[in-house]
Amino acid sequence: MDAHANPAAHGKDHVPHVLPLSTYLKTWGALLVLTAVTVGASYVNFGAANLWIALLIASVKAATVALVFMHLYYDHKFHAVIFGVSLVFLAIFIIFTMFDTQTRGRADGIERERPADIKAPFAGTQAEQKLKEQRGALKIPGESAPTP
Amino acid sequence: MSATDKPARENEFQVAHHFDSADVQFDAGRMGIWLFLVTEILLFGGLFCAFAVFRSWYYADFVEAHHHLNRVMGAVNTVVLICSSLTMALAVRSAQMSKTKLTSLLIGVTLALSCVFLTIKFFEYSHKFHEGLLPGRYFTAEGFHGHHAGIFFAVYFMMTGIHGIHILIGMGLMIWLLRRNMRGEFSSRYYAPVEGFGLYWHLVDLVWIYLFPLLYLIG
Repeated sequence: MDAHANPAAHGKDHVPHVLPLSTYLKTWGALLVLTAVTVGASYVNFGAANLWIALLIASVKAATVALVFMHLYYDHKFHAVIFGVSLVFLAIFIIFTMFDTQTRGRADGIERERPADIKAPFAGTQAEQKLKEQRGALKIPGESAPTP
Repeated sequence: MSATDKPARENEFQVAHHFDSADVQFDAGRMGIWLFLVTEILLFGGLFCAFAVFRSWYYADFVEAHHHLNRVMGAVNTVVLICSSLTMALAVRSAQMSKTKLTSLLIGVTLALSCVFLTIKFFEYSHKFHEGLLPGRYFTAEGFHGHHAGIFFAVYFMMTGIHGIHILIGMGLMIWLLRRNMRGEFSSRYYAPVEGFGLYWHLVDLVWIYLFPLLYLIG
């Protein structure tokens, strides 16, 4: 009964899941057609949409390769999760980097208009006003009240 | 090879003692390959990120520079890689069916297609070297309106170069697979190295599927 009882022949043989030849050939045909489509689309100018059209076609091709050639559609779903999560992290990587690189220099105008005094960074702001009110209400010991 | 075309060493494969069954061993190996592919995605992801940032900063220069890439050669190489992906997928399939000779033939065709890919890449690169279309400060080509075409070629050479190194490594691995296959080591009972390499090869194809339109078609 125990699989470990006979280590030389434990478990059953692996039986491969063989896909029909036509599945591979159809996938190959689809990839070639999509390549022709993306090359054809590049001769038409869609303006700013050029990038997104190219990325969309590339992603359809990539999904086809991953699902059929890489067997993700037939494999354990966990392998698809590993692959999918890596794409999520890739998106975080690129998008969050671009939050920085796309917005650099945006505060320059404001800072030029109202340069910050490094010794009194809150001077003339609402924050300074609030701070004064709080100090007045609290009477922080050691600051204003003389010790008896 | 015998008349029945049975792998010579089909019965030599034994499940490692720390695995419950051959299925568990296969799945563990396959998951390991997928985790490796994730690190590859992040490696290329850094380069795609660089492409995205520089393209958004120097959009006009990138569009101008990308017209100096040969899109016919790029398209032919895309077709070559897609065909090599098909032959590799079929090689895994024939290994699953213990067809040793067919597996050798299909890995051989994949190897030949990867040679075609690198040959075309060689002609592309030598043309760029000749024209002075080189990365960063080595950029010496004349007649450009923008000043940042060198950045485009830095991104181009880094992305296609690292991709090309992956092709080279793949060729080495295919020779290793061919040797083992001709010894009759792979059969429907054990073909994990063929399948693992197939996954790697498809990922290399997958990266090119994005590189081609981004660099050659839209810039």
